[in-house]
Amino acid sequence: MMRRILPTLAGLLASVSLAACGLVTSTNRSVFVLFDASGTYVKSVPVSARLANLMVAELQPGDWIGASQISSCSFSEKEIVLQQQLPETPSLADQTKRAVFTKLNDYAASVKSTKFTDIHGALAQAAFELRQRPEAARYIVVFSDMIEDHAPKCDTSKVALDLKGITVIAANVIKTNPADPEAYFQTLKDWESTVTEAGGVWALSTSPDQLPKLVTAQ
Amino acid sequence: MRGDSFLGIPYGWPLVVAIIGLIVVLWMAREPMRRLLWQIFFTTGRVFGRWGLWLGEHGKAARLSCSEKIAAHRAEELIDRMLVLEDRIGKRAVKLPQEAGPIIARLDSSTHQIDRVATSLAEINVEDAAERAFRAALPRMEEGRGLHKIEKNMAQSTARMMQERLAPIRPALSMLKTEAPRVIAASDKLGKIEQRFTQGVDTVNKTFADFEETLRSPDRIKVAGKQSIIIPWLIALLITAIALSGVFLNFFLIERPMAEIVGEGARIGGIGLPTFAAMIVIFLEFVAGVVLMDAAGFTRLIPAFHSMSDGGRRIMFWVAFAFLAAFSFLEATLAIVREQIIENSAETSRLAASLLSPELAATAQAAADQAAAADPSALATEEAPKGLQLATVAQLILAVLIPWLLATAALPLETIIRNTVFMLQIAGGYGLLGLSFICKTFAVALKSIGLFVLAVYDLIIFAPLWVERKIKGTVAGSIDEKPKNPRAEKPQQRDPPDRKKDPDGKKDKDRERELQQAS
Repeated sequence: MMRRILPTLAGLLASVSLAACGLVTSTNRSVFVLFDASGTYVKSVPVSARLANLMVAELQPGDWIGASQISSCSFSEKEIVLQQQLPETPSLADQTKRAVFTKLNDYAASVKSTKFTDIHGALAQAAFELRQRPEAARYIVVFSDMIEDHAPKCDTSKVALDLKGITVIAANVIKTNPADPEAYFQTLKDWESTVTEAGGVWALSTSPDQLPKLVTAQ
Repeated sequence: MRGDSFLGIPYGWPLVVAIIGLIVVLWMAREPMRRLLWQIFFTTGRVFGRWGLWLGEHGKAARLSCSEKIAAHRAEELIDRMLVLEDRIGKRAVKLPQEAGPIIARLDSSTHQIDRVATSLAEINVEDAAERAFRAALPRMEEGRGLHKIEKNMAQSTARMMQERLAPIRPALSMLKTEAPRVIAASDKLGKIEQRFTQGVDTVNKTFADFEETLRSPDRIKVAGKQSIIIPWLIALLITAIALSGVFLNFFLIERPMAEIVGEGARIGGIGLPTFAAMIVIFLEFVAGVVLMDAAGFTRLIPAFHSMSDGGRRIMFWVAFAFLAAFSFLEATLAIVREQIIENSAETSRLAASLLSPELAATAQAAADQAAAADPSALATEEAPKGLQLATVAQLILAVLIPWLLATAALPLETIIRNTVFMLQIAGGYGLLGLSFICKTFAVALKSIGLFVLAVYDLIIFAPLWVERKIKGTVAGSIDEKPKNPRAEKPQQRDPPDRKKDPDGKKDKDRERELQQAS
C-alpha cells in the first residue's frame, strides 16, 4: 500500500514544486488604447477605432482591454472609455469582443474635439492602469499625431513616466504637415526617446495589419 | 651562430661530449628509468588488461542474461501457441464424432452390404449354372431343323437360359457398383480427417519440441537467436508510427475546442492550456485503449491483469470500453464546437473589419447591435456553405473513430517495449564486449610499446653496458672459485628490469606472459 501511495505523493509534490517554480504561467496580455481627441486628430478617431477593432478581434480569451482619450487634461477617470476583460472561453470572448466593438463605435461616433493634447497625462494614466493588472504583457496603443499641446492649467510635460515592462505602440500617426517631413520624423524620434527613457519599449505601427501582430506577438 | 648548435650546444666536440655524458647518465640511471618505464607501460597495460577481462566477463554475462530472458519470452510464446493448438485440437476432437460418425456408419453399412453380396456371389456355382442352362436349352434345340437353325437356336437358348440363371447375380453386382464409390468417398474423408489431425499433432509436437529445446538446451544464445526481435519490432514501430499520425490528426481536431472547456490564457511548461488539455485527453484515450487491450487479453502490458480473475478482467474491459465510448462522444462534441468557434471567430473578424469605417459610421451602431444580438451558430448555419457542413460531418466521423484507432496502438506497444529492452540489452552486452576488446588491444599495445622503449633504451646505453659486462665478466671469472654469498645475491633478485642480472630476459618474459594472461 505504501509503495503505491509514496510514488503518488512524490508525483503530487513534484507537480506542486514545478508549479511553484513557474511551470504554470499566463499568456494573457493587457492592452490600453489611447485615442487623441484633439482638434488636429479627432477626424481620424473613427479610422483609429476601426484599427482598434481589428486589434481587439485578434486578442486572445482572457486578455484585458482598456481605452481612454487624450484630452486637454488626460490623467482623469472621466476620460476612460472602457475597461473590459475578455472571458477565458473563445465563444464568450467573441461575444465580448463584439460588445467592445460597439463601445468603441459609440465613442467614435460621439467623440468631441478638445482644445489641447495631453499625451503625457494619458500615458501616465494608461501606465498606472496597466500596473494594476496581473497580466505580464502590457501594451499601450496610442492613436494620435503625437503632437503635444498642454493646457496652461494642466501641464504634465514634466511628469515622470514609468513605462517599465510596457510596450508603447504608436498607431495611425497622421502627418499633419506634409511640407515638413523632418518635423514628423523628429516627433517620432522624440517620443521614442521619451518612452525608452521611461523604461518602455517603443514601436510604430504603420499599416492596419501590423498593429494586431505587434500586440499579439508574444 | 644559432645554426651551429643543437639545443644551445655547439656542434663538434662539445656536442659529442654532451651525447656521451647523456649516455653515461642514462646508463647510471638505468635502474630507476627501467622501473619508471615498466610502471608506465606494463603496469598500465596490466590495468587495461584487467579492465578488458572484467568488461569481457560482464559483457558475456549480460549477453547470457539477455539470451535467457529472450529464451524465457520464447518459452512463454510457445506455451501460448501450444495452448491455442490444444484448444483447436480439443474443439476438433469435440466435432470429430459429428464429422466421422456418419462416415463410419455409412462405411459400416456399405461393408455389410458388400459382405452380404460377396457371400451370395460366392455361393453361386457359375459352371453348374452354365451347364444347367445349357441342359435346359437342349430340348428347344432339338426342336430346331437344319444346322444353321440349330446353331442359331442353340445360341439364343443358351443366352436366354444363362440370362435367367444369372438374374439373381445382377442386383448384387449393381449393389457393388453403388457401394464401392461410397466406400471410396468415405475412405477419402476419413483420410482427410486423419491428415488434418496428423498435421495438428505434428504442429503440437514441433512446438513442444521447440519448447523443450528452449527450456533445456544449454546453448542459451542459440535458443535466443531463434527468436525474431528486429522484424516484429520494425513492424510494430511502423504500426505505431501510423497510429501516431492519427494522434496528430486527433490533436489538431480537439486542441482548439478544448479552449471552450479549460479556457485559454495559461501555459503549463510553455505549452498552452488547451494544447496541454488536448494532449492529456489523447493520453487518457491511449491509456483506456491499453487497459481495453490488456483486459481483452490481446496484450500483457499491465501486470495486475495477469493475476486478476476473469470476472475482474471483464469488468475492466467494459469500464475501458465505456471510457473510450465517452471519449469518442466527447471528441464528436468537440468537433462541432470547433466548427462553431471557427465560424464565430471569422464573424467577429469580419465585423471588426466592417464596422466603423468612416463612410459607414452612421450605420455602425445598427450593424453592431444586429451582430451582437444574432445567434452565432444560427448565423453560421445560414452562411455556412454546404462544403463546410460536409467538413463538419467528416470531422465528426474522424472524431468518433480516432479514439478506437488509438486504442489499437496498444497492440504493437507491447512488442516495441519488450523488443526495445531486448535490443538495448543485446547492444549493451556487445558494447561491453567491444570495450573489453579495446581495453585488451590497448593493453597489448602498451606492452609492446613498453618493450620497444626498453629495447631503445638498451640500444642507447649499449656501449657502457657492453663495457660493464666485459669488466664484470673478467671480475666474475677471477672470483668464480670463491664461495657465493647468498645475502649478496638477494638484492639482485629483487631487481627485475636489470638485463645484466637477467641476461636472457627471463623475468621480462614472465611478466609478459603474466600480462598476456591478464589480457
